[in-house]
Parts: sequence; structure tokens; C-alpha cells
Amino acid sequence: MTAVSTERATVLEARGLTRRFGGLVAVNDVSFDVREGEIFGLIGPNGAGKTTLFNLMTGLTPPSSGTLTYRGHNVTGLAPHRIAALGISRTFQNIRLFRALSALENVKIAQHVRTGAGLWAGVFGTARAEERRVEERAWALLDLVGLADRAGELAANFSYGDQRRLEIARALATEPRVLLLDEPAAGMNTAEKGQLTAFIREVHDRFDLTVLVIEHHVPLVMNLCDRVAVLNFGQLIAVGDPGAVQRDPKVIEAYLGGE
Amino acid sequence: MSGFLEQYGFLIVTMVQAGLLGLSLYFPLQAGQLSLASPGFYALGGYVAAIMLTNPAFSGLRDTLGNGMFPLTWLVAALLCGLLGLFVGVPALRLRGIYLALATIAFVEILRVVSLNLAVTGGAIGIFGIPQAFGFQDRWQYLWLFGPLLLLTLLFARQLERSRVGRAFRAIREDELAADAMGVPPTRYKVLAFVIGAVLAGIVGAMSAPFLNTWNAKQGTFDASIAILAFVLIGGSRNIWGPVVGGALLTAIPEVLRFLADWRLIINGLVLVVASLYLPQGIVGALQGVRRPPPPRRPPSVPAVVEAPGGGA
Repeated sequence: MTAVSTERATVLEARGLTRRFGGLVAVNDVSFDVREGEIFGLIGPNGAGKTTLFNLMTGLTPPSSGTLTYRGHNVTGLAPHRIAALGISRTFQNIRLFRALSALENVKIAQHVRTGAGLWAGVFGTARAEERRVEERAWALLDLVGLADRAGELAANFSYGDQRRLEIARALATEPRVLLLDEPAAGMNTAEKGQLTAFIREVHDRFDLTVLVIEHHVPLVMNLCDRVAVLNFGQLIAVGDPGAVQRDPKVIEAYLGGE
Repeated sequence: MSGFLEQYGFLIVTMVQAGLLGLSLYFPLQAGQLSLASPGFYALGGYVAAIMLTNPAFSGLRDTLGNGMFPLTWLVAALLCGLLGLFVGVPALRLRGIYLALATIAFVEILRVVSLNLAVTGGAIGIFGIPQAFGFQDRWQYLWLFGPLLLLTLLFARQLERSRVGRAFRAIREDELAADAMGVPPTRYKVLAFVIGAVLAGIVGAMSAPFLNTWNAKQGTFDASIAILAFVLIGGSRNIWGPVVGGALLTAIPEVLRFLADWRLIINGLVLVVASLYLPQGIVGALQGVRRPPPPRRPPSVPAVVEAPGGGA
């Protein structure tokens, strides 16, 4: 459970990622590597560009310049569904579940890239075996996040915390190798945050994932992450193990100094 | 019985036809796309059938195929409408919401003006003297065509909804961006939903040309776009029965109220206003709201632990 120290293969490689919105440079020349199997924290004050960086990495926003490499493939500017197919999945800071659909259906939908039944297979019912697998896997994932007993309820009716768990289940349904969690603990109390830390670690271990987490809550990040990157005004000001980053004067000035 | 059918046969067939056109708009709506293009594809399908059934250029084919000519017109209409749907859909579906609706209205208008000005479509007069399908003696017999088409379409829609593709449609309807991020390619499925609607409208048009005996530019107008939209909104847009009920009802009401003379249009308008105010989910949606869907059944064997994907690296 200690930080990964041995050199592991690089999974994600960001080089000079930049995104401008008009005159604002939301992400400015950011370069970093994420290693196989680590839990990588992304912290920084509000508006530092953390979510924009996630959006660049999942194809929701194309970068203005720079490249993103995933396992040796250049994935810069690929459509989100292609990136999902390659094995990068995410949750959203402002929760984007399919609100009017049931929890079960939310998780079934996200298995799209790992299944192949086309229009006619669906209409003629020739994809029964695949449908059964989708169904079983959806239930298993709901079991994992503890929501199986409410599988039929609409996503909109779940509490905030449960919606976040459901979103993680949905992200896992795409069978990712890399999971990006955007402020998974937002709006949770201290006890819930503790549970969440354990849960993220469990998911990480069980699925053998590389996890990137954006989080404001510093104790959670320090507790959970193998390495931490700090963004401030769109620029990467520090990367390293949590202890070292916490002592970095630039970081203290930008972010931790306010705590 | 035959007296009833002779009197109301035309109306009943028109009701079924309206339900089918409602369904042609329902498919793109499943994927969250408000398309009003159905009358355009309906008109095109009708022209295809009218031309194939009357134009001297096809007389040889007609002599060879006999009644087989009718199914062939459906097939050709479906194919052409599908291709045109693909051609129009790919650029048009980059637009969202009301902009897509406007683009599809423009599409209907373009087809109408083109058909008004082409010789092969008979210009403003249109095409008349279209032979009755399979030598039908009476209009109600068209139920033998529209009835099975409706059943097949409903079956198709139901199966589709339960499938992977149907789930992809709903995901895009609910949140296109989230669907994309979860691996569902939005453009592909939006175009697919649009093409399904186009093909259905085209087949309905091809069946309708013999039924109406004449075919002209009045078949595909903006008015029809709005009428078909009303079928879906009044009937309900979240259930396959919605467009069918809405289409049948809105087609029947003006006829049933015929004794009110000019007042019937006012009543018809009132029904629309009241329904949209008090039944925002449509008639079928309101009826469905009473009854909650049963909870999903857990499959007997759910693996206790989710295995690591890719066999673990």
C-alpha cells in the first residue's frame, strides 16, 4: 500500500498540452507521465484547469496544441468514444448520468464498446448470449458499488453520493484500463470521504487500473495517491510523491498555504 | 360489416397511415433528434411508386412482374429514402434541437419545390390514375397493407428498444456528451435513427400512392410536418403506442366531429391545446404514469466478483 517506487511502464504521456478559450489559457504547456497501475492525483485551486485537462485527455475538448500518447498511440484529438474504446474512462465533476434512465440501464449502456450487436441482431433477437452477459455484468457492477437492490430506480432519484458511485460503476462498465475520477468526493462528509478512499483503492486493485483523481480534499489525496501533480493557473507547478509535493514552497504558496 | 368498412374504410386506413407516419418521426426522437423530415420521405416514396406504376418507361417491367410490381415499389422507395436519409442526415444531424427541426423543414420544402418543377413528377398537376394495389376493389382493403406494416413496425420498434442499439439511442437522447464519453458514437446512431424514420416514411408513401390514386406536391408539405409532430406529442413520445394513438385520434377527431361543420376545426385546436397543457407526456404517457414499470429481475447467475478486464496485465 506504499507508493509505487519501481519504474513502471508509462501509460499516458502528455507533452505540451495547451488549451485556450479565447484569451484565457486554461491549460498551458502541461507535460507529465502517468505510470501503469499508479493512483495519480491532480490538485490545484479552483479554476486551475484540472477539469479542462481531463477533458483534453478524454477527447471532450480538443487541445489547442500539444500531444497525448496512450500506450504508444497518439490519441490527441480523438473523439471521446474512440478514447473510451481504447480503455480510458471517466466520471464527471458535475455528474452526468443518464438521469431519466434506471441505474441498471446506465451501466448497461456503458458496455457499448465491449459489445457488438448491430441493428438486425437486436431486432431479430440473435444476440441473446451477449445481452445476457451485458445484463449479468451490469448487476455485478451494481453489486460492487452497493446499488443492486435499487437497480430499477431512475438515476435522478439517487442521493448525491450514490450518484457518484453509480457513475463509477458506469465508467467501469466500459472496461477501462485507465480511470479518471473528477472530484469523486465533492459534497461528501468526512466519514463518506474515508469510505470513498477505501472504495477507490479497492476498485484500483480489483480491476488492476491506473487511476487519475482530481480532488480538493488534501488529506484524501495524500492518503490515496502514489504521485501528485499540482496545477495552478493552467500550469503544472509540481509533480512527485505526496510528501515532497506538500513541502514544495511553490505548492504551499499556490495552494496548500491556504489550508 | 362490409357496410361499415365501406363507409369508414378510408378513414380507418388513414388512421393507421397517420400512426405509421407518427412512428417515422418517433425513431429519430428516440435518439433525441427532433426531425420533421418525414413528409419529405413520404412524398418521395409516393412519387417512386407513382412513377413506377404509371410511367411508360416501366411498362415492360410492369407486364413482367404483374402484382409483384407493388412490393418492388416499396423496396425501391425504402432504398432511395434510406440513401437520401443518409445523405441528408450526415450533415443535418450536426445541428441540434430546433436547428435540426428547421433544417428538416427546409429539406421538405426543397423536395416539394423540386417535385413541382420536374416533368417526371408531373409538375403542379402531379401523377394521377395510379392503379389500385393488387387490384383492390375498395379502399378498406388497404388495411391488408398498412395493418401488417404497422404491426411489423411496432414489433421492430419494441425489439429495437430492448437492444444494444436502442440503449445507444436513449443514451444520446439523455446526454449526448456523456454517451460519447461512455463509448457510444453519437453521429452514427443519430444518422441510423434518422434513416430508419426515412425508410419507414418512404414505404408508407409508396403504399399510399395507389391508395390515394393521385400523387402531387401537396403530399409533402410543412403542414404535414406539423401534423405528424402533433401525432407524436399528443400521443406520447416515450412509448411506441404514443404515435399510433396520437395519429389515429387526431385523424379521427375531425371526421367524428364533421356534424359540427366549421366548429370542428376549433374543437380540434382545443384538443391540441388542452392535451399539450395537461398531458405533457402525451396520452399514452399519462396512462403509463399510473402504472409503474416492474423492477428489473436479477439474473439467476451474477458472478460474485467482477473479473479484471483484459485478463490482468
